[in-house]
Amino acid sequence: MTLLSVEDLTKQFGGLVAVDDLSFGVESGEILGLIGPNGSGKTTVFNCIMSIYQVTGGTVRFDGTDITDDKTHEIVNRGLSRVSQESNPIGSMTVRENIELFTFPNSIRSLDGGASDEAIASYAAQVDIEDALDDDPGSLPHADVRRLEIAKALATEPDLLLLDEPFAGLNQTEVRRLSEQFESFREQGITMVVVDHNMRGLMDLVDRVVVLHNGQKLASGDPADIVGDERVQDAYLAGEVSAVQ
Amino acid sequence: MSDREQTGRGIGRLVGRAESVLRDTLLAQGAGVVGAVGRPAERLLWPVAERYNRRLGERFGEVTGLQLLLLVVAFGGLVTAPLWGQDYLRPLTLGAVWAVFAMGWDIQSGYTGYISFGHSALSGAAGYTTGLLVLHLNPGLSLFVTVPLSILVTTVLGLAIAVPSLRLRGPYFSLVTFVTVLLFYRLTKALSEWTNGLRGIRVDVFTYDLTLQYYMVVVSMLAVAATLTYVGRSDVGTVLVAIRENEDAVSAAGLDPTKFKLWSFVLSAVPMGIGGVLLAHVNAGVDPQTFVIVDNSIQMIAMAVIGGMSSILGPLGGAFLFVGLRDVFLVGLGEELRWLALWLLVLLVLVFARDGLFRLLWRALGALGGDRR
Repeated sequence: MTLLSVEDLTKQFGGLVAVDDLSFGVESGEILGLIGPNGSGKTTVFNCIMSIYQVTGGTVRFDGTDITDDKTHEIVNRGLSRVSQESNPIGSMTVRENIELFTFPNSIRSLDGGASDEAIASYAAQVDIEDALDDDPGSLPHADVRRLEIAKALATEPDLLLLDEPFAGLNQTEVRRLSEQFESFREQGITMVVVDHNMRGLMDLVDRVVVLHNGQKLASGDPADIVGDERVQDAYLAGEVSAVQ
Repeated sequence: MSDREQTGRGIGRLVGRAESVLRDTLLAQGAGVVGAVGRPAERLLWPVAERYNRRLGERFGEVTGLQLLLLVVAFGGLVTAPLWGQDYLRPLTLGAVWAVFAMGWDIQSGYTGYISFGHSALSGAAGYTTGLLVLHLNPGLSLFVTVPLSILVTTVLGLAIAVPSLRLRGPYFSLVTFVTVLLFYRLTKALSEWTNGLRGIRVDVFTYDLTLQYYMVVVSMLAVAATLTYVGRSDVGTVLVAIRENEDAVSAAGLDPTKFKLWSFVLSAVPMGIGGVLLAHVNAGVDPQTFVIVDNSIQMIAMAVIGGMSSILGPLGGAFLFVGLRDVFLVGLGEELRWLALWLLVLLVLVFARDGLFRLLWRALGALGGDRR
């Protein structure tokens, strides 16, 4: 079943076409890699899906519903959550409170409606930060701040996670551990789209790859095929093929 | 670099150094003295605080023994004021009214970071609603009619300002509120056939018994303080602070920032309405100079800043401090010097104690409680 479908998506900034008539689907239960050189439009696609940007043209469907014009919080409440490239925890709140915020009901009448401490601890435990719950985000090492971002997204109980460069700045051990955790998210029924530059980590993790180049879909298919695709090598992978193979 | 620039920098460094030495010395001395008295007191009071925390801590925040003592002394002082301070009942009554304004401003501007420069338009709306009703409709209109109507009008005006402006980011919201209060001020004069212009509208006092009047105002203030403290510590308060810190994260959490910002305006407009009605009756009238003028909006902000923004009780304390200085302690300085001193104090707090004096005091008392909190 197709969980997310992006149809003829176009996004222009003034005269610049950042995403150009792009279509792709994400099947329920899969991990899709969205790759492409810098400036190829990967993050813009995420921003269009999440309604951070208004699309210039095209449609985004989630679970069969047109969500193109929904507001960001409505999309999140439908079961779609995104982990940004930037970490932006709220410094005046502890790790626990940062996660708890993502469990609040969207209601002005809610006075005490967040998740229980046990539930928050379990979100944190899924990315190994359960011991940091009472710390300030500012005191955490980089990798843990990234993990906090993922725990926050998990706390919205998503069906689909959009992960924007989740491996950036992590060492090999951390990349491996995080990949295992993504696998366990999948076992819990979470579908994922991963954007990243770390080809090695990504190729082992994803079931299928969509390659973007200048906002257009250049290729899509099996990771092994993509690595061998000449057009992809020319556009993007040329320098990194040896690292992948 | 010219000689003058070099000298300037040298002096700058010297002043900076002197300031930090002075601050460190004072803090160390202060901490030593306070600690010697405070720690045993804290040990003595802790069991009481513990009992409070078990019953009410979750709702209103946990306290240490000394923090609880501060609250109890302040509360006791307010309740017994007619016994010890008959001469000060007028400033204390005004302090309580302005505390309602400062707290009302705080739950919206202090919490969300969308700073309003126009809250005196809201208190003005309440005062003028009461005034216009008794002047044009029926002088004998019951408070049970005028008070709810005034609060309702204030809330409607609040939403009329908030709906178009809170969707905007950056300085637009502040500018809209600022222009609104200027507009309101001009309107009170332009519509002087209705509003009596600068002369204003006479409103009956609640009562000529100043003690009774004081209690009416203080009880209203305490009700507002308890409600807003509770709301401020609830999910809603957390979301409002999150909007100030990172509005995108609030959307990403599945929460509608616009809805919560509008709600903050309602939470703010209701106390502004209550305060406006109180002030109209305490002052026996409503006029543009005492109510609407933009200086009043700035004074509300000043009180919140002095006390400590986004803490509700900080602005409450800030209001009493500000009104106390304005109407009692600095009166001897004369009109001009008094205001100079007041605004200088606000400036100093902004530069050197941005978290506010009462929050500093609260933390200092909390620190004496050690890591028990």
